[in-house]
Amino acid sequence: MRRMFRPMIMSNLIRSCSRATHPIDRTIPSSPSSKIVRLFSTEMEPQLSPDLIKIMDQRLSAIEHRNAILQRLINQPEYSQEEFSRANKELRKLRDSMELITALRAIQKEIDGLKTLVSESSDDKDMLDMAVSELDEAVEEEKRLQTLLLKSLLPKDEADERDCILEVRAGTGGEEASLFAMDIFRMYERYSQKKGWKFDIVDITESDMKGYKEASAAICGASVYGKLKFESGIHRVQRIPITEKSGRIHTSAVSVAILPQADEVDVQLRNEDLRIDTYRSGGCGGQHANTTNSAVRIIHHPTGIMVSIQDERSQHMNKAKALKVLCAKLYEIERLRLQSSRSKLRSEQIGSGDRSGRIRTYNFPQGRVTDHRVGITHHAIEDMMEGENLDTFIDALLLRQEMDAIASFSSTS
Amino acid sequence: MIRSFRFTSLLSAAKPLRSFACSSSPAIEPPQCSSSSSISLRITHPKTPLFLRAPSHAAPLSEVWKWHGWAKDLASSVDDNSSPEDEDSLDSILLLRELKWLIEDSIEASDHHHPVIITGTETPRGDDGEKKSVKLRASLEELYDLWRQRIEKRRPFQYVVGCEHWRDLVLCVEEGVLIPRPETELVVDMVEEVVRGDEWFKRGVWADLGTGSGAIAIGVARVLGGCGRVIATDLSHVAIAVAGNNVRRYGLEGMVEVREGSWFEPLKDVEGKLVGLVSNPPYIPSDDIPGLQAEVGRHEPRLALDGGVDGTDSLLHLCDGASRMLTSGGFFAFETNGEKQSKMIVDYMTSNLKDSFSGVKIVSDFAGIGRFVTGFRL
Repeated sequence: MRRMFRPMIMSNLIRSCSRATHPIDRTIPSSPSSKIVRLFSTEMEPQLSPDLIKIMDQRLSAIEHRNAILQRLINQPEYSQEEFSRANKELRKLRDSMELITALRAIQKEIDGLKTLVSESSDDKDMLDMAVSELDEAVEEEKRLQTLLLKSLLPKDEADERDCILEVRAGTGGEEASLFAMDIFRMYERYSQKKGWKFDIVDITESDMKGYKEASAAICGASVYGKLKFESGIHRVQRIPITEKSGRIHTSAVSVAILPQADEVDVQLRNEDLRIDTYRSGGCGGQHANTTNSAVRIIHHPTGIMVSIQDERSQHMNKAKALKVLCAKLYEIERLRLQSSRSKLRSEQIGSGDRSGRIRTYNFPQGRVTDHRVGITHHAIEDMMEGENLDTFIDALLLRQEMDAIASFSSTS
Repeated sequence: MIRSFRFTSLLSAAKPLRSFACSSSPAIEPPQCSSSSSISLRITHPKTPLFLRAPSHAAPLSEVWKWHGWAKDLASSVDDNSSPEDEDSLDSILLLRELKWLIEDSIEASDHHHPVIITGTETPRGDDGEKKSVKLRASLEELYDLWRQRIEKRRPFQYVVGCEHWRDLVLCVEEGVLIPRPETELVVDMVEEVVRGDEWFKRGVWADLGTGSGAIAIGVARVLGGCGRVIATDLSHVAIAVAGNNVRRYGLEGMVEVREGSWFEPLKDVEGKLVGLVSNPPYIPSDDIPGLQAEVGRHEPRLALDGGVDGTDSLLHLCDGASRMLTSGGFFAFETNGEKQSKMIVDYMTSNLKDSFSGVKIVSDFAGIGRFVTGFRL
């Protein structure tokens, strides 16, 4: 297991380095990042085969082209605010790649110059040595930049950076499923606390025995969706329910959905598509009524999606929460539509698209949790329920996603 | 009539709250507990809501559990004692939610535990409950008393905890000021829309008449975002004190000015200069007052509810005043009793005052009731 994770950690480091250090800053050749890359590229590799580099070059030209078009566009005053901000948004997304490309182009130019120098200074040994050693360095740097660029070009889910909505629903198994739904919900709550994320309960529907029939929360923090998206699916539990007197082991299930959060602009929400109702006691309302019930129900006419929120203490906050959930749902519909029109293969590989798949089993008598997608079993179930060690699964799934992406980058291009 | 009511309601309110006044923050409360002389009532000091009080009480967890069990039983029992046809009855589901909020406001979170988890759903394990101690913002005795007041006396929950969550605000409220209603949140939404459409509204002076807790004035000030000014008026001392306190709590002293007096009286200096005028005036017809829901009729100030024979006394006064007070292009929004009254007000403004206003219309609340009348000064 351990071996599997090491490259993962490194590739994470590379990613963060690529963001933190400016690529032009290569005046310090012994910077930790370049060391790691060298280590990385010898140990585990998407080797930069000539084919891969050729494919990549085509993409780089495409990015440069797009960047130029967008730059021209935002300099034209006749475009609307909306077009302007959309272009700006896209430009921001390209910026990291563009910085790397600019650095790559510069180094390639330098390499050409050095090559010429080498060929011309065959007589002057000192000069030749110097040129050769500089050339070596420059080629190393080119490789480094290419590796970083490959990383940045791998298909990324743009929702990864977003906050998310967690929904847990009790499935088959009656009361026991509701109790487990509560356990799972709390597991994510504790995990979020450990990560320093904000975990904000949206709505809880309790079962008769104070389990959760349904529960949802808004989780906010850095790249929350990217971390949690693989949690979507069916979580199965095997244990002796506290309700079970004969001591028989039951199997029940809860479903978990992780939706990226979106705002009203992302989903182009229109006021006229919404119907907002509040609880009406039948009386005249206003000053006549003093109620603490400020539940809000929002119906989105085009899709028929309905969201009700009641746990906040003001109508305004209930409405804000309901809108947040509605936007996440609409955004997810749109994403699934796009995803299915893209590569079907990919969503199957990653396994975050299918909500109906059984992804994990929590076996209490044996004290283990098994993730069926990566085939990993973790043997401290109590810790897991306390929000510890969930990273074991999450890191493995992220690593697999990355490997799949590299594979499909070279196969589909 | 109004005057005497105000005093009696204050006196009756002061009684159950006496223990609060003594135990809560000495910086805000008068050094001496009310000996119920009329002088100490005139200098009104706003009460400290539960959630702002120091957690200076402690009780064994087992005792807190006991209280919680008792409170839940009391809340659940209301269903047995009321007939379903009775419109003015308590609803145990709502009461249980209120109980959760009472716990949030009165029990200090500890060891990363949310107060609601402390009282929790799990049953006491072993003798854990005896050893562990819970910090409280009110004594257990008071918590028993408060919950009894809520259910037996039908004291509004917001007075029980001393605050009302309204929009994204938490406003202090107490007997003597109207508890702001959810419907009224929309007044601020309407102002927000107008302001978004035209920056001019941001820089002028607004007025909130009969401000009560200061809810609308504070909401509007936050929408204006630092440029404009809001003057909030009220006839009631208590309202003036409470609104002033809420304004301070949100750090808006520089933007919201609270003035004592009836409707436009304290606004002589800004006559014809207001860019916006908002109000939730008393609009309930006098004959409806005796039949009001217990929480409203028995506890909230009649001054803030009774709108005269057909409920429009104050509204009509506001309409007339609006034509005088607003500058050209200024916006107004008034809350009304709904459908019939809104139509009456629109009729009045489009006939008697037709040269003064344009775009007068009815706006519905989320329950679909034509709740507001809005428009612009020509």
